[in-house]
Amino acid sequence: MAEPDARASGRAADRLRRLLVVVPYVVRHPGTPLPELSNLFGIRESDLVEDLNLLFVSGLPPYEPGDLIDVQIEEGRVWIGMAEYFSRPIRLTRSEALALYLKGKALLGSPGLEEAPALASALVKLEENLGADTLAGLAGKVAVGGGGHVAQALAAARRAVERRERLEIEYFTAAREELATRTIDPEHVFSAIGNWYVVAWDHLADAERLFRADRIRSVKQTGETFEPRGLPGPGRPLYTRSEHDTAVRLSLGPSARWVMDYYAVEGHRQRPGGWTEVTLPTKDLPWMAKLVLRLGGEAKVLSPAALATMVRQEARAALGLYRRRGPERARGSA
Amino acid sequence: MHPLERLINLVALLLEARRPLTFEDIRGVMPAYQQTDANSAKRMFERDKDVLREVGIPVELAPIDPWEVEQGYRITRDEYYLPEVAFTDEEVWALFVAAHAPGEGGEAEQAFQKLSTGTETNVLAAMAERTAAPGVDPSGPYLGAIADALARRRAIRFKYRSAQGKPSQREVDPYALVFRRGNWYLVGQDRGRGEARSYRLSRLLSAVKEVGAASPPPDGFDASTQLESGPWGLGKPAARARMAFSPKVAWWAIASTPGAQIVRRRRDGWVEVEVPASETESFVSWVLSFGADARLSSPRTTRDQLVNKLEALVGDG
Repeated sequence: MAEPDARASGRAADRLRRLLVVVPYVVRHPGTPLPELSNLFGIRESDLVEDLNLLFVSGLPPYEPGDLIDVQIEEGRVWIGMAEYFSRPIRLTRSEALALYLKGKALLGSPGLEEAPALASALVKLEENLGADTLAGLAGKVAVGGGGHVAQALAAARRAVERRERLEIEYFTAAREELATRTIDPEHVFSAIGNWYVVAWDHLADAERLFRADRIRSVKQTGETFEPRGLPGPGRPLYTRSEHDTAVRLSLGPSARWVMDYYAVEGHRQRPGGWTEVTLPTKDLPWMAKLVLRLGGEAKVLSPAALATMVRQEARAALGLYRRRGPERARGSA
Repeated sequence: MHPLERLINLVALLLEARRPLTFEDIRGVMPAYQQTDANSAKRMFERDKDVLREVGIPVELAPIDPWEVEQGYRITRDEYYLPEVAFTDEEVWALFVAAHAPGEGGEAEQAFQKLSTGTETNVLAAMAERTAAPGVDPSGPYLGAIADALARRRAIRFKYRSAQGKPSQREVDPYALVFRRGNWYLVGQDRGRGEARSYRLSRLLSAVKEVGAASPPPDGFDASTQLESGPWGLGKPAARARMAFSPKVAWWAIASTPGAQIVRRRRDGWVEVEVPASETESFVSWVLSFGADARLSSPRTTRDQLVNKLEALVGDG
C-alpha cells in the first residue's frame, strides 16, 4: 500500500512543480494557446490538459463552486481565474538558482557572445533580487573571462545558422598559417574549451569542417541559402580520427602533462622521473611541430622522425632571427 | 481524490490562511484528510508536507497564538513568491540562451521558466523560433555542490588528481570559483599544503564532502585576479614585451592577443608590436609556439631564455 502511494506522490511532486510554473503564466497571459504552452514549458499537450483538469476541481474551503479555481479550455486556448494566490510564480529553489547562474557565468566566459552585456546585467539582477540565502553568498566569488579570443565573426555566423545562409569566409588555418577564402554552409555554432566553433559544410574541401570562430577574419553573405545536411552539433568531439592521421609518439615532462587534458591522446605510459609517453593522432604534422616547440624541451619526439626534423628546422629558423639581426636587437631593447 | 488535487488545495490553504494552522485545523476543512483513521490521515499529511518541501515550497512551523502554546503550519507569502525582477527583453533572451546551454539542463530551465512568467508572450514566442548558441557542458558533476559550499562558507574534502597525475585527498577552504578558458576552477586554501591553490573541477575524482566551517579568504582577496588574461599567465601582466610577427601570422597573432599594440609595419611585411608580458616560462612558451614567425626583442632576460630553449631544441629536437 505504502509503495504505490509513494510512487504516485513522486509523480505528483513533478506535476505540482510544473503546475506552479504554468499557472502563473496563464493567469498573466489569458487565452494562451495550448500548443504555445506545450512548447514553452516542454510539456505534452495531453499531460497539460490532464493537469488543468485536476486544477479546476481544486481551490479553497469549503470547495463550493465559487471557491474553486476557474479553468477554461476553449478552442485550444486556456484561461485561468479565481486563483489570485497562484498569479505569481514561486521562488527559485537554491539549486535552480545556482544552476542558471553558473551556466550564465560560464557562457560569459566564452568571449564574443553577442548577448554578453544583457547576460551580465541579468545575472547581477539575480544576485541582488533573489534573496539573501539564494545567490547573495556567491556575489563577488565567481569570476569569469580571460584567455580566449574575441570572435568578431560570431554574431554573423549565428545569424547565418538561423537563416540557413551560405557564407563566404576568410579563414586562418593555424597549422599552415594561411588565410584562404572558403564557401561554407554553417549548421551549428557552439562553444568548447573557451572557444566558439562553427560546424559547416565546406565547399572547398567538399566535406564537413569545424571552424574556430575567432580565426574567421571576414564574413561575406553570398545571398544564397542552403538545405541543412544534419551535421552533428554541440557535444561532438572537436577532433575526429581518420585513417589518414599520423600517430605521433611524444614523451612529456611533468609540466607538459596538460597536453593530455586538451588533446585526443590515445595511449599513455608512465616513465621514470615523472615523464609520460603518449600517442597522439594528428592530421597535421606542422601543427604538431608548433606544439612541440611551445613545450620547449618538456616534450621529446619519439616518432615519426619527420616530425623531429620539422621541429629542429623550425627551431633553427627561429634561432636565425636572433643571430642575423644585430642592429634590430639593439633597437628593440632600447 | 488525486494526490495532485490534494497538494494544490494544501498549498492554496496555507498561502491564504491568516494564521498558522494546526493539523487539526487543516483536517477540519480539507475533506482529503477526513478519513476515520486519524493516524493514517496524519501520515498522509506528513508525506504531502515532504512533497511540498521537495518542490521548494517553504512550509514552516510557527506558534499559532501569542502564548506560543501550540504550533501550526504556514507558508509565508514573502518566502513563497518570487520577488518581482524586471528584466529587459534582451536580458530574458540572454537567460534563455544560458538556460539552454548543454549539460544538466532541467533545473536551469525550470529557473528560467519561473523568471520569465511576466514576459510578453510575443517575446517568448519569438525565442522558440531562434536558435540558442549552446556550448559543450563545462560544469561536470560537482560544480553545484562546490558553489553551494562556497556560498554557505563550508570547507570541503575531495579526491583530486593534480596536473602531474597523482591522486590525493584534499581539504580546502573555498575562496572563489573561476571560469577560465572553458574550465571551472575552485580557488581556495589547501589545508594540507598550507597555501592557496586552484583546482580544475574536471580533475576531481570524488564527490565533495563538507567538513565544517570554512575560514574566510585573506583581506583584499579578489576572485577576478585569479583569471588568466593572456600569454603572460595569471593576473595582471607585470611587463611589456616588444616583438615582431611575420606577415603570415600577424593578423591572427595580434587579433588573439589582448592588449597588443602595433608599433609599426615594416617594409618586409613584418609587424612590430608591444604586448603585455611577464618574465615567465608560460610567456616564453607562447612566443615559441609561433616558431620562426615571431621574434622577441625585449625584455632582454626573457629573450635570452628563449634563445637558450631554441638552442636546446636545435641540439636534440
